[in-house]
Amino acid sequence: MLLQYVTALAAVVLVVVHLLMQGVLVPYSTAVDFQHVLSMYRSWVDGAMLELLLIVVVAHGFNGLRIILIEWRQSLSWSRGVNWASLVVALAVMAYGSRTILLAVAGVVA
Amino acid sequence: MASEKEALNKRGVMGWINPYHYNLERWAYAFQRITGLAVLLYVLGHIGDTSFFVGGPFGSGPDKASWTWDMNATANDLGSIVLTLVVLVVVFHGINGIRLILSEFGLIFQKPSRPEYPYRAKSLRAMQRHMILVAIVAAIVASLWAGTILF
Repeated sequence: MLLQYVTALAAVVLVVVHLLMQGVLVPYSTAVDFQHVLSMYRSWVDGAMLELLLIVVVAHGFNGLRIILIEWRQSLSWSRGVNWASLVVALAVMAYGSRTILLAVAGVVA
Repeated sequence: MASEKEALNKRGVMGWINPYHYNLERWAYAFQRITGLAVLLYVLGHIGDTSFFVGGPFGSGPDKASWTWDMNATANDLGSIVLTLVVLVVVFHGINGIRLILSEFGLIFQKPSRPEYPYRAKSLRAMQRHMILVAIVAAIVASLWAGTILF
């Protein structure tokens, strides 16, 4: 559960900042504007925070799903299967999200 | 035998939604899991949806046309309702989650003492319970606020 608590506390901070920048500190219409989003991705601080948010929230979400599934049914093979499946799917989702950030940072603007 | 099954703690998923003898803490437990699954679903959708900033799964860089198409797809009443509900469940999950962490480390319970009539469990009172109410109220206020921004 330690992983769940550590990622939870990190997620609280990151999600609060993320939500505030999505309509409170920055007007909503600006927050979803193409040029604004591009400058967010290409800023070191904002880009790194989005990457961190992705990793923390996906880790927390899939670890939570893993906890629910392991509590739901108890057997060694089930636990092992759930552990591996949640790890693989979480890494795949992190990779897909990181690809968005990398392409947004380094890709040629269409 | 139902009682044997219950003794083995094998009520499964039905055990989560059985309202018999549910107190506020158990409702909070059920809602922490339901909102957790809902937020995970949203996060997966959100990672897929934001990838249209770079043209979707097969894109290769920042693409204004793709992003505008994606933003227009959710810029309607249904999209705003979904986002408002997302704020509702995220804020509840977050504040109730902080309560769970504080409880885990015993920081928000009253000090143990001699049981006195009417023998109410002290762990189920004071800040531990108030934080559930704070989570509910804050979630409603935050989602109403998000509604005023989105609509």
